[in-house]
Amino acid sequence: MTDTIPILRIEHMTKWYGDKEVLKDASLSLNKGELKVLIGPSGGGKSTFLQCINFLIKPNRGRIWLDGREILRAKGKELYDYRQKVGMIFQDFNLFDHLTALHNVQIGLVRVKGLSRTEAKERAVLELDRVGLKSYMNQYPAELSGGQKQRVSIARALAMDPEIMLLDEPTSALDPELISEVLDVIRALRSNGMTMIMSTHHIGFASELADELIFLEDGSIVETGPPEKILYRAECARTREFCSKITEMYGNSSS
Amino acid sequence: MAESLVILYGALPYLLRGSLVTIAVVAGAMMIGVVVGISLAVGQVYGGKWLRRMIAVYVWFFRGVPLLVLLFLFYFGLFSLLHINLSAFTVSVIVLGLISAAYQSQIFRGAIMSLPEGQLKAARALGMSDRKAIPLIILPQALRLSIPGWSNEYSIVLKDSAVAYALGVMEMMARAHFVASRTYEHLPLYFAAGVMFLILTYLGTKGLRILEEKVRIPGYSS
Repeated sequence: MTDTIPILRIEHMTKWYGDKEVLKDASLSLNKGELKVLIGPSGGGKSTFLQCINFLIKPNRGRIWLDGREILRAKGKELYDYRQKVGMIFQDFNLFDHLTALHNVQIGLVRVKGLSRTEAKERAVLELDRVGLKSYMNQYPAELSGGQKQRVSIARALAMDPEIMLLDEPTSALDPELISEVLDVIRALRSNGMTMIMSTHHIGFASELADELIFLEDGSIVETGPPEKILYRAECARTREFCSKITEMYGNSSS
Repeated sequence: MAESLVILYGALPYLLRGSLVTIAVVAGAMMIGVVVGISLAVGQVYGGKWLRRMIAVYVWFFRGVPLLVLLFLFYFGLFSLLHINLSAFTVSVIVLGLISAAYQSQIFRGAIMSLPEGQLKAARALGMSDRKAIPLIILPQALRLSIPGWSNEYSIVLKDSAVAYALGVMEMMARAHFVASRTYEHLPLYFAAGVMFLILTYLGTKGLRILEEKVRIPGYSS
């Protein structure tokens, strides 16, 4: 019975600014260990959708269940607890610029989870080691490359023991030669069974790893399905058009 | 000429004790300014509509009314109306502090708003409340950016502190005036007072420069 309850369920999520609807009635359900990938043109609502899921943007309408429990009041302690369980990776990393890599990972453990400094440090070093950056732990963000910054931000999110991770175009701000180091980390997460929703333009990578692709355009989910269907046998003409263009651009190799 | 120098030399310890009073007034005012200024800035950036409006009125009032008017208003007016008995020194510190808070709040506000929006988002995404994120993530960065503007504010408060003379606070200017009017040696005494202000300005701004360098985040060029 328990394995039929999705870990995350979102229904009818809608966001508008004034009379401009940027997210229209988006629904989604995610089982433990699944990876779903949002694709679609820039400005199509991918980032808004992801940020509505952890209430960084307050949706105007929509319901969210985590582990079968609905998040009823996105406020106060309930909101902070929920966000701890939903890790987020941003396109432009958003590391805390005044803190070293170590302290970036440590601060949430101490100030949110209430761990002692020693426990938090131990855990932070472990997480940095996992993304291959233990020897960089005393560097500040401005001293790291883009790829390293993104790996620190992944370590920071993982340290909070999230149940799911939201990744908002995690490689879009990176130089091409730095992309693979971040994708490798995400691949490792995937094989360790992390449940994830990711938006990306790396269609090859997405089709290799994703259980499902979700094509989002003009704030609406146009089509959903397994990668081979969306990429090669999409029902909607617009999906086919987008996929062939993006495959041309980014290739369908998965590196 | 030689006689002027002798008088000046004799008055110097008296003037230097005045510089301690000046330093105390400025230090007190700057401290009030920082604490109140940070609160105003945070309220103005993150507060609700009514709070923002009230802060805007505060800033408008304290930036708009001349220092001398405010000193008299508080010392002879407000505090005596409320039967609060405060020394001229304390009132000067408070008034200069409240004025400086209005200016400093705008320095801090600018610094907070210049930070990327993602800093607060990332903190929230970790499960931090704004109550934690603002002091832990936003202010440490914003305050670093505020130091150059703050050094400007320091030199203004320092010079403004001379107006406390009007309430009878025995700071540098008051003492220079006192000696000058008794000895008729106006030029050397006001010249000495001016030089002492210049020295204090130099020391303060230099100190802030050193602080700025000390707290600089590695990897950033500036």
